[in-house]
Amino acid sequence: MKAEPVLRVEGLTVRRDGMLAVDGVSFELPSESDTALVGPNGAGKSTLVAALLGLLPHQGGTVQILGQRLGPLGQLPRSVRAQIAYVPQALSLQGQFPLSVAEFVGFGFDPPGPTLPWRGGERRRQAVRRSLVRTGCGDLGDRLLSELSGGQLKRVLLSFCVVRPRRLLVLDEAEAGLDAPSAAQFQLLLLELRRQEGWTVLHVSHDLDMVRRSCNQVLCLNRRLCCSGSPDHALSPSRLSELYGPNMVPYRHHHERSGSLHD
Amino acid sequence: MIEVGALGTVLAQPFMQRALIGGLLTGALGGLLGSFAVLRQLSFFSDALGHSALLGISLGILLGLNPTLVLIPFAVGFALLVNLLVERSRLPTDALLNIVYSTSLAFAVVALSLVKSYRGGIQQLLFGDILGISWLDLGVIGALLLGALVYLALSLRAQVLLTLNGDLAGAFGVQGLVHRLSFIVLLAVVVAVSIKAVGVLLISAFVVIPACAGRLLSRRFSIYVTTSAVLGGGCAVIGLLSSGITNLPSGPCVVIVQFAGFLLALLISQFRPWSPAVVGPADRRTPDASPSARR
Repeated sequence: MKAEPVLRVEGLTVRRDGMLAVDGVSFELPSESDTALVGPNGAGKSTLVAALLGLLPHQGGTVQILGQRLGPLGQLPRSVRAQIAYVPQALSLQGQFPLSVAEFVGFGFDPPGPTLPWRGGERRRQAVRRSLVRTGCGDLGDRLLSELSGGQLKRVLLSFCVVRPRRLLVLDEAEAGLDAPSAAQFQLLLLELRRQEGWTVLHVSHDLDMVRRSCNQVLCLNRRLCCSGSPDHALSPSRLSELYGPNMVPYRHHHERSGSLHD
Repeated sequence: MIEVGALGTVLAQPFMQRALIGGLLTGALGGLLGSFAVLRQLSFFSDALGHSALLGISLGILLGLNPTLVLIPFAVGFALLVNLLVERSRLPTDALLNIVYSTSLAFAVVALSLVKSYRGGIQQLLFGDILGISWLDLGVIGALLLGALVYLALSLRAQVLLTLNGDLAGAFGVQGLVHRLSFIVLLAVVVAVSIKAVGVLLISAFVVIPACAGRLLSRRFSIYVTTSAVLGGGCAVIGLLSSGITNLPSGPCVVIVQFAGFLLALLISQFRPWSPAVVGPADRRTPDASPSARR
């Protein structure tokens, strides 16, 4: 019997600022799959992710997360919401933001809903410590979030996700702003955690090289879903030209499976 | 010994005792809410609320109603209206707030000019009259402080996540709009209730200065919030005592003490290892840092 997909999207239509941003998109994320959502700027990737997370209302179609239907205004039972983790592109940390890394990660410990910040005591402290060690941030607990480098901040965001078991992880251009070694380090860590945690992952990414190496499914979006499938199928030169335009020239690095796009 | 004698005389006065309790509660309330308002970049919003409160008071006087009773619904309505304008107009928030508060100030002055005489006096409206605070006022401020403590403790995680990234908070199930509006309403009520003691011109100092000083001294959020509230209450008490001894206006004395506290915090932060000036920006310390990763 086929396992229930973690995320099932059927005919999803989303309007943003009066414009049709996502038009009749359908796809599924099988359990423990690693899927990339790619497409040019303005293709509706962030809008689609926002709608899937219930941050934007959708005007048509259905979204089911772990078998529960997302309401048109983003309503989802707390038990399902507790299974979702999200890594944004960046955090707003103006000046000296008085929040330690350990405090931030601790916020991820309790499931959604009103909670007292000191609840959990020693159990919370241990969970935070464990999650920081797992992401290579064991010595960062007392640092301020605003003191971290870009790479450290991304790893701390993964600690926030791993401090409590979850099923679905959504990343919105998580590698943005990282230099090549930091991005590679982040991807390796993500891969390891995905295997350990059994996460189903959805990335929004512009890094097609990473997508080829890490993901087992690709969704090509340009308001509509242009194509989907394995990286080799969805990222073939003809499909990339179709998605990004005829001036896009894919090239491969000297190693076998990598590739990237330049215009 | 003259100072000790003067202090004893000041403390023996019942109105001064009420003022000290009122200052402690109002200062702590301002510091508590300010710690969140400053992080959420609502400092100017509290200033605009304070200035526009004069219009609420003027309307109350014109209508022959108790200005304090008119002020609370007025401040809440004003805050919600401004929030709506900010969301709908898509103008920069500071510019819009400037338009709204200067216009409401103009209307308030016109309204006050229509009133032949106001028993309270314009000076008291502008700079407050903490010495005239009653036991009933203290009860209201105390209840508000308790309510704010409970609300902020239960929603602390939501407030911080919303400040850091709205989408991260939303994915976590935080109802962004509900929390944004609740906080704005709470801020409006606190401003409205504190106006009597602090005055329309000085209320934003009660919200902003202790929180900024607390921010300079803290490396943990819980300590930041506590420090801001303690500094707010402590500076108010010291300021009132100084005012009592020197016979200078109480509200401005409190703000001057708050400013001195802020300068001290700034000085201390420069000599602590966590000071941004000592540590330096993250992108200068590690090769993988990127300013573009911060939004």
